[in-house]
Amino acid sequence: MKYLLMIYGNQEKWESMAGGAWPEAIARQEAFNAKYRQTGELLGSYGLADAAQAKLVRRVKGLPAVTDGPYLETKEYLASFWLLDCASQERAEQIAADMPFADGEPVELWPILHESAADQ
Amino acid sequence: MTGAPDAQDIGELLRELAPEVLGALVRRYGRFGACEDAVQEAMLEAVTSWPARGVPGSPKGWLLTVASRRLIDEVRSEHARRRREQADAAAAAPLEQPQQPGADHDDSLTLLFLCCHPALSGPSQIALTLRAVGGLGTAQIAAAFLVPEATMAQRISRAKEAIRASGARFEMPGPDERPARLAIVLHVLYLIFNEGYTATAGTGLTTPELSGEAIRLTRWLHRLLPADAEVAGLLALMLLTDARRAARTGPDGSLVPLGEQDRSTWDAGKIAEGVALVSAVLPAGQVGPYQVQAAIAAVHDEAKSVGTTDWPQILGLYDLLGQLAPGPMVSLNRAVAVAMVAGPEAGLDLLRELESDRRLAGHHRLHAARAHLLEMSGDVPGAVASYREAARRTTSLPERRYLTGRAAGLAGQKTGQKKGSAAM
Repeated sequence: MKYLLMIYGNQEKWESMAGGAWPEAIARQEAFNAKYRQTGELLGSYGLADAAQAKLVRRVKGLPAVTDGPYLETKEYLASFWLLDCASQERAEQIAADMPFADGEPVELWPILHESAADQ
Repeated sequence: MTGAPDAQDIGELLRELAPEVLGALVRRYGRFGACEDAVQEAMLEAVTSWPARGVPGSPKGWLLTVASRRLIDEVRSEHARRRREQADAAAAAPLEQPQQPGADHDDSLTLLFLCCHPALSGPSQIALTLRAVGGLGTAQIAAAFLVPEATMAQRISRAKEAIRASGARFEMPGPDERPARLAIVLHVLYLIFNEGYTATAGTGLTTPELSGEAIRLTRWLHRLLPADAEVAGLLALMLLTDARRAARTGPDGSLVPLGEQDRSTWDAGKIAEGVALVSAVLPAGQVGPYQVQAAIAAVHDEAKSVGTTDWPQILGLYDLLGQLAPGPMVSLNRAVAVAMVAGPEAGLDLLRELESDRRLAGHHRLHAARAHLLEMSGDVPGAVASYREAARRTTSLPERRYLTGRAAGLAGQKTGQKKGSAAM
């Protein structure tokens, strides 16, 4: 089963971290990534750019129309996500609980629908 | 095979030989992990050279020679120079010594037991079995499980590492241990089958068809252990289930439930083979869960329609299965069989009892079964709500589409009536 782990935040929050705390947080996260790549359960980890970089894309009369946005109503937005492939929900919960950020903030865990029908 | 051999024939031949070659190599040199890599490399070399040059007179001997050469290269680069001579000496000895009749089979079987060693996690057992016994490449296995190749490579090397760390030896499990170890092997094969049975159709040659592979391996195991009733039962179960494959999905990939399948598209050959297998072993008396599940599948496969299905017999078989291998899913299926025999209310009563089972309470299948029985009983709003609840809880995309469509279809029949209240 594949799962998505997500953490939320915003630029202000990252900037407010005391000097040494940020590199240390990154290092702990890198160690987490390495650990679960090793077990073959982490398919990828991705950090999103700041919301200021995000765009809205539409098609208007067949042509792409790109505008700034989205203008978020929430204070925190999706910051990073991890794609897991592991044996069970329990295992996914275990990995999520091992996430360094889980000390202070909740980690969202979403099962990903598989492209196939479940067994009968 | 002479002339320009077909690439597919070569692939099949190679995969047939893979466990024998690997078994012989491991028995001789130990070092399962390194031998396994060497056999994969030899197979790759065969794939490149055989189509042009033709299949050698003794394909197995060729593979053994090339694989042991690769292994020795590996040993050389690994060890100090003074160790090299020993390896050379080992390589010089002829590999294809006269063997006891059946030694190939014993090696292959030992290999299968090793790949399904209890020290390995389920996903590792599956990956290693497909590679070492099934002869599939890492890229193919990764494609079949829709994960990056690097992930699968990691999983396989972890599996080899776990075997090494556990101190497991290349030897047949003893008589005390053997039934439990064989049960794991059968479980792994069944998981491979289910992975393939449920996955969307492969999108090309690079994606192996896993249920076909599971059937091939189980058929091979049945040849090695013809007297084992559960091996035969598992093979029958796979064949009887796989027979319905084409009918199980619509042209757009949507799910078609058993009751609505076009039974004329069921594979009569597979059904006949499965029925023959299960009919031969069931009366022998070593009854086990795979045989009973195969018998249930056989009753379905031999019925012309849901209405003419022998539901009392299916119910009796679920009773038996509940004794042999009790579990929430067995109870759930039994409740549906009860409904087919004694009416939806009787089934719904049983489902209410099952709701207190923690393992089932939030499970989509409980909701789907209730929806189905409520629909049978004529309670349309109840059925719609349960179908929607089941759709919310399934983790399978086609199943969610099916359940949502079922709810929408039923709600549509009742146009104007409480349409809003049934919405999520």
